[in-house]
Amino acid sequence: MNDLVQLMRPEMLLLAQVVFLLLFDLFAPDRARRHTDAVACALFLASIAVGFLPSTTGEAFGGMFTVTAMTQVVKNVLSIGLLLVFLQSRVWLSDERTSFKKAEFYILTLSTLLGMNLMISAGHFLLFYLGLELASLPLTTLVAYNKYSDESIEAGAKFVLIAAFSSGMMLFGISLFYGAAGADGLYFDVLSSRLAATPLQLLALVFFLSGVAFKISLVPFHLWTADVYQGAPTSVTAFLSVVSKGAAVFALMFLSFRLFAPLFEYWQYVVWALVVLTITIGNLFAMRQDNMKRFLAFSSISQAGYILLGMIAGTPLAMSSVVYYLLVYLVSNLGIFAVVSILENNSGKVHISDYRGLYRTNPYLSVVLMLFLFSLGGIPPFAGFFSKFFVFMAAADQGFYVLDFIALINTVISLYYYLLVVKAMFIADSENPIPTLHTDSWSRLCLTLCLVGTLFFGVFSGIYAFLSSGAWGL
Amino acid sequence: MDIASITASQVIFFILAAVILAGSVMTVVSRKLLHAAVYLLFVLLATAGIYFLLNYHFLAAVQISVYIGGILVLLVFSIYLTSQVGEKMDEPGIVKKTVTMLISMGGAVFCFWVLCTGQFPYADQIHLNEIDMHAIGQSLLGTERYQYLLPFEAISVLLLACIIGGILIATGNTKKED
Repeated sequence: MNDLVQLMRPEMLLLAQVVFLLLFDLFAPDRARRHTDAVACALFLASIAVGFLPSTTGEAFGGMFTVTAMTQVVKNVLSIGLLLVFLQSRVWLSDERTSFKKAEFYILTLSTLLGMNLMISAGHFLLFYLGLELASLPLTTLVAYNKYSDESIEAGAKFVLIAAFSSGMMLFGISLFYGAAGADGLYFDVLSSRLAATPLQLLALVFFLSGVAFKISLVPFHLWTADVYQGAPTSVTAFLSVVSKGAAVFALMFLSFRLFAPLFEYWQYVVWALVVLTITIGNLFAMRQDNMKRFLAFSSISQAGYILLGMIAGTPLAMSSVVYYLLVYLVSNLGIFAVVSILENNSGKVHISDYRGLYRTNPYLSVVLMLFLFSLGGIPPFAGFFSKFFVFMAAADQGFYVLDFIALINTVISLYYYLLVVKAMFIADSENPIPTLHTDSWSRLCLTLCLVGTLFFGVFSGIYAFLSSGAWGL
Repeated sequence: MDIASITASQVIFFILAAVILAGSVMTVVSRKLLHAAVYLLFVLLATAGIYFLLNYHFLAAVQISVYIGGILVLLVFSIYLTSQVGEKMDEPGIVKKTVTMLISMGGAVFCFWVLCTGQFPYADQIHLNEIDMHAIGQSLLGTERYQYLLPFEAISVLLLACIIGGILIATGNTKKED
């Protein structure tokens, strides 16, 4: 029993927070409810701190739930991402149009995080599937949070349909695994010993992979991304593009390592094609966008391609570089979203063309945004360079030189469009730039944390060393 | 397969399968929403029939009460609330129709071929006798292997989150958002 509490500590803490916030919102006096953000953030911060305490590894529920050192690291990474989202969403939530339902925002995001944790720790397809649903269905209502905005509702409708469709694909794949490996085969430890690359199992893998690919928005499963990212409230978009995508990547990573190892030879072909398509198409479409949120949607599609590039090698080195890549992507991308949402909340402007002359009026914001964009593009002193470097190295290590070369060309293309934003801010002139803004302290804290991460993760090699050290009891 | 060796349960299976197949195609092809819902009813009923055929009585009962009693009724309500009776959806263009048909038929034939040539070495492990309620209850609330307390709890959280989300969407504000 004591062991179970240790193993499921992050999940139990999340559930406790959900229940507490629910009751708090119901019964607390109005005076206290005004501080819902502070209460939610403080509780969540405490639970993250507890997450860093040493804990046991092992499995519970007869192999249904597994905890390794790496799942713990990964869960902490996702929690930090969510905390950054909380910090930057405070202004938007305090608006009088949304403040009456802000507790729900915290409750729902925390429950989705719980779903992601279950998905990552799952040792059985049933739990994996339920975790995935828990990580996507409540998100639908958050995407449609501004319910009087047509765009938000449209995005919500698209998101729920895509979620249902991709779950259907995945369930079909799982049912084929059931057929090919028997009822016991739904447990991952049994299935991995029964995989032998028969056509039936490969078909199952393809369907299963397509279901997950929708969640990570890999090309050709990406068509929903831009519309949903644009329509959803900016903080929810940030959550979708970083935490939600990161969870799906981590889950796929553990599965590919733990479960699909016998099919790896075949899976590499599929992933090769997916990487090339995802990086290239994501980049080409990103160049054409003017809406910042659509731009970030395509940029995040192409980033997902780089993450997958790390996974193709399937070595422990590759796995640690994927986690490192995601960590760096998390701070850089959340930093960009923080700036975008500050600008949107204060001036209502989200287009790149609106950012012209931003440097004159808001020099700090523009410099910070530039640093994050450089990190995302992979310019040397920042963490983004190192994370890209490790991912490329992991692929080259296994002989994927052509793939590395294609990805490298795409990096140059991506620099072009990241610099377009920088050019708009620093060089282009505007008749009426966004006026000088006051940034609230919560967003400032979020920006500072992201900036420290972007600079620190690159220079301080201890992080990568930690990730690539003992943590590989996958 | 020898005609003489076909058993009654196989005949019933093929009839049910035909109903499911035809019903699913009609659900997707039908241009009237309400008709589609009725075709869906046949699909769900025939699926329950297959569960009965396999002696999965509990599952069949759940299928009927949840899907037909609950979800389908909700579906019909929402169709009545959101569209006019007899309203037809737009006919898609001929190119779209052909391409969609080619792709979906191709995919279906391919899957069918893989399934027909595939091997199911573990098929004999599956129980075909009736499972009593006691065992179902035990495995739903146990924590050992082949027992499913954790997924059961995950479903509860999922439902809670979805209910809160539903309220979030439905709730209004005295000050209208623009």
